[in-house]
Amino acid sequence: MKEKWNFILYLVWFSYLVLSAVLMFGHGFLLSRKTLSDVTECLPLDKFGCDGRENSTVRGSCKEEEKIQRIISVPGGSLACVPKQSRVVFLLVDALRYDFTEYDPRIEKPLPYQNRLPILHEILERRPERARLYRFMADPPTTTLQRVKALATGSLPTFIDASSNFAAMELQEDNIIDQVTKNKGHAVLLGDDTWARLLPKRWLRSHAMYSFHTWDLDTVDTEVDSKIFNELRKDDWNLLVAHYLGVDHAGHRYGPNHPEMTRKLDETNNRLRKVIDMLPPDVLLFVVGDHGMTETDSHDWNDSDGDHGGESKAERTAAFFAYRGAGLAGSGADALTGREVQQTDLAPTLSAALGRPPPAPSLGNLLLPVLPKSSRSHTLLHLTNNLKQITQYMIRYGEESQQVSLDRLAHLINSTREQLDKAASIETDEELDKYVADVRILVDNIRNVFREVWVEFDSLSMLRALLLLLLAIFFNWLITEGLPMERLPHVFASTFVPTGLIAMAVCIGVCYTAYYFEFLEDLEHAIILSTGLISAGITCVLVIMHWDGISQRWYEGRSQTYERFARAALVASAAVLVSNSYIIEEGAGLSFLSMSVLALMAWNIGTFRSLLLWIGCGAVLAGSRLYRGCREEQGDCWTAGAGVPTGQASRPALVLALGSVAGVVAISRRHVGWRGYGVVVAGLFVCSHWAVGWGSLGSPGRARLLARSAWLVLATMFALVWRREGRGATLPLMVCCLLLYVANTLVLGAAYAPSAALAIVVGFLALNLVSLLKNEGSSKFSLTTRCNSSVACMWALLACYQFYGTGHHATLGHVRWAPAFHAGDPNYLDIGPPITASLISLELFGTPFMFGAAVPLLALWGRNGAAAVGPRTQLAAVFSLCLKFMLCFAIRVFACAISATIHCRHLMIWGVFTPKLLFESGACAAALLGGVLGAALAAWHLPPQHRNS
Amino acid sequence: MFSLHNQLELRKVTISSLITCIYLPSIITVISYKGILYSVGNGSSCYVLALIFFAEILKSFYLNSSNDVHGKRNKVNKNKAGDILRGFVFMLCVKFAFFIGIILFGAPVLECHEETLMLSSLLTLLTIFPLILHTGVETSMQLLFGVKNYGRDTVIEMLVNNALMTICGAWLGAVVIPLDWNTPWQKWPIPCYLGAIGGFLLSNVLTVLKVSLMSGATKYPILNILVQLLNGCQISK
Repeated sequence: MKEKWNFILYLVWFSYLVLSAVLMFGHGFLLSRKTLSDVTECLPLDKFGCDGRENSTVRGSCKEEEKIQRIISVPGGSLACVPKQSRVVFLLVDALRYDFTEYDPRIEKPLPYQNRLPILHEILERRPERARLYRFMADPPTTTLQRVKALATGSLPTFIDASSNFAAMELQEDNIIDQVTKNKGHAVLLGDDTWARLLPKRWLRSHAMYSFHTWDLDTVDTEVDSKIFNELRKDDWNLLVAHYLGVDHAGHRYGPNHPEMTRKLDETNNRLRKVIDMLPPDVLLFVVGDHGMTETDSHDWNDSDGDHGGESKAERTAAFFAYRGAGLAGSGADALTGREVQQTDLAPTLSAALGRPPPAPSLGNLLLPVLPKSSRSHTLLHLTNNLKQITQYMIRYGEESQQVSLDRLAHLINSTREQLDKAASIETDEELDKYVADVRILVDNIRNVFREVWVEFDSLSMLRALLLLLLAIFFNWLITEGLPMERLPHVFASTFVPTGLIAMAVCIGVCYTAYYFEFLEDLEHAIILSTGLISAGITCVLVIMHWDGISQRWYEGRSQTYERFARAALVASAAVLVSNSYIIEEGAGLSFLSMSVLALMAWNIGTFRSLLLWIGCGAVLAGSRLYRGCREEQGDCWTAGAGVPTGQASRPALVLALGSVAGVVAISRRHVGWRGYGVVVAGLFVCSHWAVGWGSLGSPGRARLLARSAWLVLATMFALVWRREGRGATLPLMVCCLLLYVANTLVLGAAYAPSAALAIVVGFLALNLVSLLKNEGSSKFSLTTRCNSSVACMWALLACYQFYGTGHHATLGHVRWAPAFHAGDPNYLDIGPPITASLISLELFGTPFMFGAAVPLLALWGRNGAAAVGPRTQLAAVFSLCLKFMLCFAIRVFACAISATIHCRHLMIWGVFTPKLLFESGACAAALLGGVLGAALAAWHLPPQHRNS
Repeated sequence: MFSLHNQLELRKVTISSLITCIYLPSIITVISYKGILYSVGNGSSCYVLALIFFAEILKSFYLNSSNDVHGKRNKVNKNKAGDILRGFVFMLCVKFAFFIGIILFGAPVLECHEETLMLSSLLTLLTIFPLILHTGVETSMQLLFGVKNYGRDTVIEMLVNNALMTICGAWLGAVVIPLDWNTPWQKWPIPCYLGAIGGFLLSNVLTVLKVSLMSGATKYPILNILVQLLNGCQISK
């Protein structure tokens, strides 16, 4: 049986193809940015000496003016706080598009959103020195969370703002609110709870409300209105943030061309009038839209009027209105209504108004025309502060990340330093104006450089990755579904797999040589592309060579209803991944689909036993609903508090966990021979780990020790699984699954351990159901029934469901970090990071892994399984099932990647689709790995060929 | 599928399907005009079930009318009360089975029992009830557990087909529940309820269509293609 290892090598090859394509897609799609925890500090003026240096030895007093002049003339010095401060009211009207704020009395029949904010126009006409109205350009993604982050930090947020702790939603970077609170100032929050979740515990008073009910137009607004006027009368705050959601929700629900929009805008108009009337003259008012919304006459394929998230002009153009009773600085072109300013500019401007330096990650310009009038020296101080902070950020970002090439960064840093040197020589207002313009151009330049790496997708590698995935799936589908079972051993005994592997090695060699001689820039990309293409070519040749067999099998083959339905169910489960609602409710959807597939199988068998098995499966899946939890978008469930992952297990949960482990171990140990003792010992260690570590009386140290012993036993048993006994592969596979189950319970912790027991029970029941499937006639036919793609589809659906069944959700906030530390802190070890990563992945994808390892059992289990036929046929059956199972996951990942590509500028891309892609790729990798492991175990344990079969 | 041999049965099948095609849409139309279409999940909408119940009984009188004209009536009359009682018990069992099945498929376990019960009653009424009325408890049980094959009996074939289509309709109805459109008809169990009615109706429409096509095919043989097509859509084997 020389094909034995060729089968396994082929599975590894296929896994490589899928995972490399997914990796390539991720490189193009997942825009990432390094989060730095730096904070900008500024020193008050009295800390500086008269020579402009801090802690200077020069004694004596000097005028503030001179001092600032000196400080500016020291280009490398620290930042100095500007002494003038004002209070700021920051009104965020979600989705306030710029053209909502325009007023044109000549329009005869205004659209529902036109001419609805006359107050802005009135003020601009009557008191031009007090008010400014600009176009406020947002960067994609134009979703509220990303926009709020951008407004608060002045940076360009991406999906993965990689930081040391990206589990929490809390903003890790320096931002205006932190700048305010650090200076003993106070900030008040009213409205959308996005702010409260991003920046918890920073507020003097916070009235935040749940913001995901997009169909509720008024609750948040009325609540804010009831608070804001009282807050305006008080003077204990420095920054008042009020976030109105009504306009956004009206846009989502009805679109801008609807009377409801008119009503919300009229409300906004009255509110603004009242606020402006009440505003003390020295308080700044910024009214800002965080993004726009799509036009009604958009050429979108669906009626997404009033949505946002993309990068069309209408979505990016928000409005920015500034007002100050005592007048604003700036004049001429700068103050012109309708000028385009960037949203990144808000953070430095706001902090300048509050008398603080810009937040550390800010890449914005100072908007002088919306600040109070100030002396030349103060203006210069603001400008130099801004430049110094940007220089500092570029230096630090260059140290931490290689995203921007060093040459470019160095060039930019040098030009900012040049500008800083110039600052001291400015004497007149004309020079100042010119200087301001120069600085603006420079900062825009810097911003564009960073925008390129943070905001723009690499569509070429995304499309190539999709192509590679498609090729791999298509040809392997032809091989598994088309190639007759009898031919499989012969194909794999031939030189097919070695040829493929050698061709890939040659590809890698050529790519590396080209890279070495600098013909190629991106080695990884080239290797993935060339190996993917060459593999597709080789499998294509195989398909062409065996086309006669394939066409004959398809011509003869007639599949039963349940088989067709199972395949359709899998394709449906992949296809609905393009819809955000189905992704959010995917747990329920997958259990529904797998129950339907199982029901049809049971119907096909038609015995009482199968009905009982089906009911058992259903009951177990229904039981696992208890552990499913919910995610933020599932409004009612989330607000009821069910979505919060529990840390410590309660007493009943502990009892349940102990009972479940004890039950599974006690029942299964009798059927796996001497290996049962190992499983029992491991289970005992797990149970005692929980029991000893539980509650306030527990001893964490001993619990950790017990967990480590459990891992030791598991590892030993896993090594022993590879001992040959010559009694077939079923027993070792079962033991392997049991060990994986114990490992899963260990990482899931006591609170979620019963869900792993439910997973293994439902797997066992489904296995028995499959072994009852009717087969027509001879044993050979039975094998084709058992290795049917419908069985693989059902198994894949169950495996996917178990991700949700064990209490996970496809959001980053649902990743539990406790399992990394259950056996002690691995960070003290040299190999800490890989241990942490593997523990977390096992916790997340342990059940797909376990199901993957159990795939060979589907073919081998039961009396009429493949165990009756010769080992050669058995192996072929195991191989074909494993490949089908892997294909199912590959199809799902492909669907996820496609939906991410389609929706790459969708409102929910970062909240729903991208996490789904990430977690689906993780589950796919775990399933592929599990499949390879199971197939290898089966191949290892199958007896050598005795007779011809 | 349907054979043309038994003209009488064919006519009965057609007419009873036609009756269904008329009375069921009228019920739905009336309650949707009354604006209470979306309360079908509540217990207060029992009258819909009652209407369907009586309509099915009337239909079954028609279907059974000339079935046993020759003297079997005495036998039936003898233990009619017992038959009715057993029928009700059997239906209750089936209803409970539907209830369990629906919950296993993903309906809420601890809440919404009223809604789930309404749905399972509707399913019972549309699937098992006509079968019981037509063949009696024993035969329908045998049909259900696959002991007996319905062979070439056109009426039973139609009833089984109706039942399967009803269940498929209810299954398909669940597809719209997770969508985030926040419409009133997405509330549990309205989509499944309406889906079941829709499936039942569609099955009846298809029956009528097929019979008329078959009778037309005797004149124009080309229509046979359409008949074959419709036979392909048939769920029951």
